Amino acid sequence: MLDKIMPFLEVSHLRKSFVSPDGGKSLVVDVENFSLSEGDLFGMRGESGSGKTTFLHLLAGILRPDEGSVILDGTEVSKLNEAARDHLRASAIGYVFQSFNLLQGFTCLENIMLAMSFAGKVNETRAKELLDRVGLSHRLAHYPRQLSIGQQQRVALARALANRPKLVLADEPTGNLDPGNAHKALALLRELCCDAGSALLLVSHDENVIGGFDENLDWSNLNRAFAEAMND
Amino acid sequence: MLRSGPWVILFLATRGLRQYAFSTAVASLAIALAGGLFLGTWKIKEEAKNAFSRSSGGYDAVLGARGSKLQLVLNGLFHLEASPGNLSWEQYELIRDTPGVSEAYPIAVGDNYHGFRLVGTLAEMFEKHEWREDRKYIVQSGGRLFTDNAKEALVGDFVARKLGLKVGDNFHPYHGLTFKEEAKHKDLYVVVGILEATGTPGDKVIWIPIKGIQLMDGHNPETATDVSAVLLNLKGAAGFMLDMKYNKQGNVATLAWPVAGTLASFFERFVWFQRVLEIIAYLVAFVAACVILAILRNAMNERRREIAILRSLGARRATVTSVVLAQAGLITLLGIVGAAFAYLGIGFLAASVVREQTGVLLEPFTYDPSFLYVPIGMLAVGLLSGLLPALQAYRSDVAKNLVQQS
Repeated sequence: MLDKIMPFLEVSHLRKSFVSPDGGKSLVVDVENFSLSEGDLFGMRGESGSGKTTFLHLLAGILRPDEGSVILDGTEVSKLNEAARDHLRASAIGYVFQSFNLLQGFTCLENIMLAMSFAGKVNETRAKELLDRVGLSHRLAHYPRQLSIGQQQRVALARALANRPKLVLADEPTGNLDPGNAHKALALLRELCCDAGSALLLVSHDENVIGGFDENLDWSNLNRAFAEAMND
Repeated sequence: MLRSGPWVILFLATRGLRQYAFSTAVASLAIALAGGLFLGTWKIKEEAKNAFSRSSGGYDAVLGARGSKLQLVLNGLFHLEASPGNLSWEQYELIRDTPGVSEAYPIAVGDNYHGFRLVGTLAEMFEKHEWREDRKYIVQSGGRLFTDNAKEALVGDFVARKLGLKVGDNFHPYHGLTFKEEAKHKDLYVVVGILEATGTPGDKVIWIPIKGIQLMDGHNPETATDVSAVLLNLKGAAGFMLDMKYNKQGNVATLAWPVAGTLASFFERFVWFQRVLEIIAYLVAFVAACVILAILRNAMNERRREIAILRSLGARRATVTSVVLAQAGLITLLGIVGAAFAYLGIGFLAASVVREQTGVLLEPFTYDPSFLYVPIGMLAVGLLSGLLPALQAYRSDVAKNLVQQS
């Protein structure tokens, strides 16, 4: 964990379980404490199926925890109603997915502006600047299917930073990229976060990816649910 | 371009429809058809009733031979069907001089010119009678009324345009109410005037002096003074009195009075047809609603991931739900625009067929409350059919549809 004076993301006693196919409850996330400070760039290594995505969903307010709290910049996310969590996600959190999750029926520029629209701050100039920043100023009107994999991920990075979020959550952002593109994407993501002053929490199964972060952690050390499951 | 707030909903909705352009077009077409049929059956029926009432030529009653009142009205005022028989000239004079009868004009039929009916009457009718309140017949410039003893004709506007008749033209009438080449009369008539259009069946008639019909070459000399019917306007309680005299106590003639009542019985004959059209319209509307439902449901199945992505970007449940409802609304709005065009087509077609067949001028585009209620109803049905898919969007599980758990 990070030893910072003013953590702006604080996770305490966070537990989340799902109903398993046999009808029982399966504990997926059990995190006692976790925190990040503003501008931190943090890597977390974890196996597939170990609950990393669920953890990120809990941080982003996509899921509600069964127990515990997530406090982001003084706001207890887990106590917000759904509309407030949606607003928080739109304005304060950027999300990067392994499969990019670009909206296929919309151009690169529209993908970014849509993300802005949900935060209520559409700014076409900034959207173009972001695409320029990721080297895609010549692809504004292109649809995702017309781009290479690497280009799609760069659009996704630009979209995640569209609303100058305080926190960027990156879920296996290099999982679908070849090593060359993965390296570029990671560098770009770190740069963008530094420029915007955003904290970054990146999860990946790849040691090489996580090894590039000064601050990193093994997810199995944090998530007691996964550790117990492994021991069983 | 993309903006915040409700514009996002509209933007997402229109883009979604663009992705399913063919299905959207099919649904809109079905809605247009249903709406056009609804408006068509309702408004055309109402307008036909009104138009036939307006087109009765400004008469309260028709006196004719013993028989059907409807046949008398159709023959005497709408120049359709055959005359049920004749009345003697004395009967005409008798009713003309009856107190309470303000106008009485005899007509005689039995001949045609290229299928258009020749109707014999008195020139006085064109001078005095108002075919609608404050509207008398007007002869187009360069023409005049016929003289009661001459072989002269006054041609209705529709006939003049159809046959290209003009003042100074000559023609031979043909015997009977339908045109037969071999039934040509020897008499030669000259066109002395063309009437201004009235939008009534009178436009489809060639008017000649009543003596012309009565004394036409080849007609039975014994009936040379008979008339086919007498067109009447009545004052005070004359209608009741004459109804009693002719219909209830007499057995020689029939009085079709009031004309509106007789016409109403005529339209009742078509109620079944209207019902059939209404049922078809309901079925088409039901199919259209099902098509919207199917399109949006299928789209929802394909768009679960897209909705999850939107939600992960911060779109609210209400936003994605509104997008689906907006799509249902937009499809319906397209359908409503289509329905307006469909109704334009139906209206023009109906008006032109009715005008061609009867001379009655329908006005299918005058305002009717159905122009408001039908689109509102359509929109309600459209939105209703979008409710289930909208509910699916509302309940969509973001985490499950976004990515596989890792």
